[in-house]
Amino acid sequence: MQIELIHRPGNTAAKIQLDQGESCTAESGAMIAMSGNMDITTTTHKKQSGGLLKAVKRMMAGESLFLNHFEPKAGAGEVWLGATLAGDMMTYDLDQESLIVQSGSFLACESSVEVDLGWQGFKSFLSGESVFWLNLRGSGNVLLNSFGAIYPVEVNGEYIVDTGHIVAFNESLDFSLTKVGGSWLKSFLGGEGIVCKFKGRGTVWCQSHNPTSFGSAMSSDLKARKV
Amino acid sequence: MKADIKGGAAFGYLDLALEPGESVTTESDAMSSMAAELDMEPKVNGSLVSAFFRKFLGGETFFVSRFSNNTQETKRLTLVQPTPGEIRCVDLNQGSICLQPGAFLAATDGVTLGLKWAGLASFIGREGLFKLEVSGTGKLWYGAYGALLEREVDGELIVDTSHLVAYDPSMKLKVQLAGGIFSSFFGGEGLVTRVEGKGKVVIQSRSISGLTGWVNPKLY
Repeated sequence: MQIELIHRPGNTAAKIQLDQGESCTAESGAMIAMSGNMDITTTTHKKQSGGLLKAVKRMMAGESLFLNHFEPKAGAGEVWLGATLAGDMMTYDLDQESLIVQSGSFLACESSVEVDLGWQGFKSFLSGESVFWLNLRGSGNVLLNSFGAIYPVEVNGEYIVDTGHIVAFNESLDFSLTKVGGSWLKSFLGGEGIVCKFKGRGTVWCQSHNPTSFGSAMSSDLKARKV
Repeated sequence: MKADIKGGAAFGYLDLALEPGESVTTESDAMSSMAAELDMEPKVNGSLVSAFFRKFLGGETFFVSRFSNNTQETKRLTLVQPTPGEIRCVDLNQGSICLQPGAFLAATDGVTLGLKWAGLASFIGREGLFKLEVSGTGKLWYGAYGALLEREVDGELIVDTSHLVAYDPSMKLKVQLAGGIFSSFFGGEGLVTRVEGKGKVVIQSRSISGLTGWVNPKLY
């Protein structure tokens, strides 16, 4: 499986080339175009494994209940994927390890990678991120998307990332919720509120922009939703 | 202080490397990520009275944040605006510049944020009743929604409402119809802002009200 990212970072699309016998798993609704010989199977679980329980868990993580599996019949084929929000994408090669991904950032992975729900504890309720995280485990390529540009931060010790800016992080990192500026009052007055503190050694990938902040910049001009 | 604007015109963000003892003042909630050892102190935006007016009439926040590095090593701080767009840096040298509400991102010490009455015209043009006048000596970073276009004006320039980002303090703003009554309301331009005087004007290529105007009919 080969992934090529084009039109970065503003309007990124991913071109995935699959050889015969290869298949990839993508978030439902992510496909923009594909070769005619591509076979799509939609399941609630990883191909040949897992079950409905995992799918329900995934749905709770804000992902779709369904995953699409793309597999070319007779020869090679290609799939183009796009994300809902404008922004960059990144690939990561898993090597018998796991990567924790903010659930909205998952786009696709090789079928050898296990997509599971990562539970980061009750702190997630307060973090402004979705409550559940995806745990991508195994070996193979992973494709993630973001709102805005992606920048990696090598953490060795402690590093603070504002909620809403996390894309993914290594399993070796431990995160906790904390405040900035030494007191909760300062943190809230400074507009930062609750932030995430990463501890340990590893990489955290951040997205430059925060979808919630952009949403609230628009919200005063948006009309109320009809019930 | 090493400062890099990254992410291009589409998704600009500001990467700062704060040397020991250095500090920077930023818009509230501008921090995207930072070294855990940096200190943050919320500060009232100017005097209490001007901060109050700025919040309720100028569209700015009551507090700004001041990040300082009280360690012995260089520490990283990443700042960003809520809207995706370009970020620019201005070297103020006893100079000043007027910013529209929300455009301010960060400034080094020596730069002060002041508030000035912008007039009813500015309010009608959806640019806020007060304007933010930034003056002093130091670096100022500001940004907007979309790319930034710069124009040297000598005379007048007509800018669609809510596209104005920054302009020279000596310049005056007026609100008027884009054309006649018919073309103003049916041509989709409505009101425009006329900037008069001599100096530099910075415009943003997109506007939030343009986006929400497009989204609104699609909501159900």
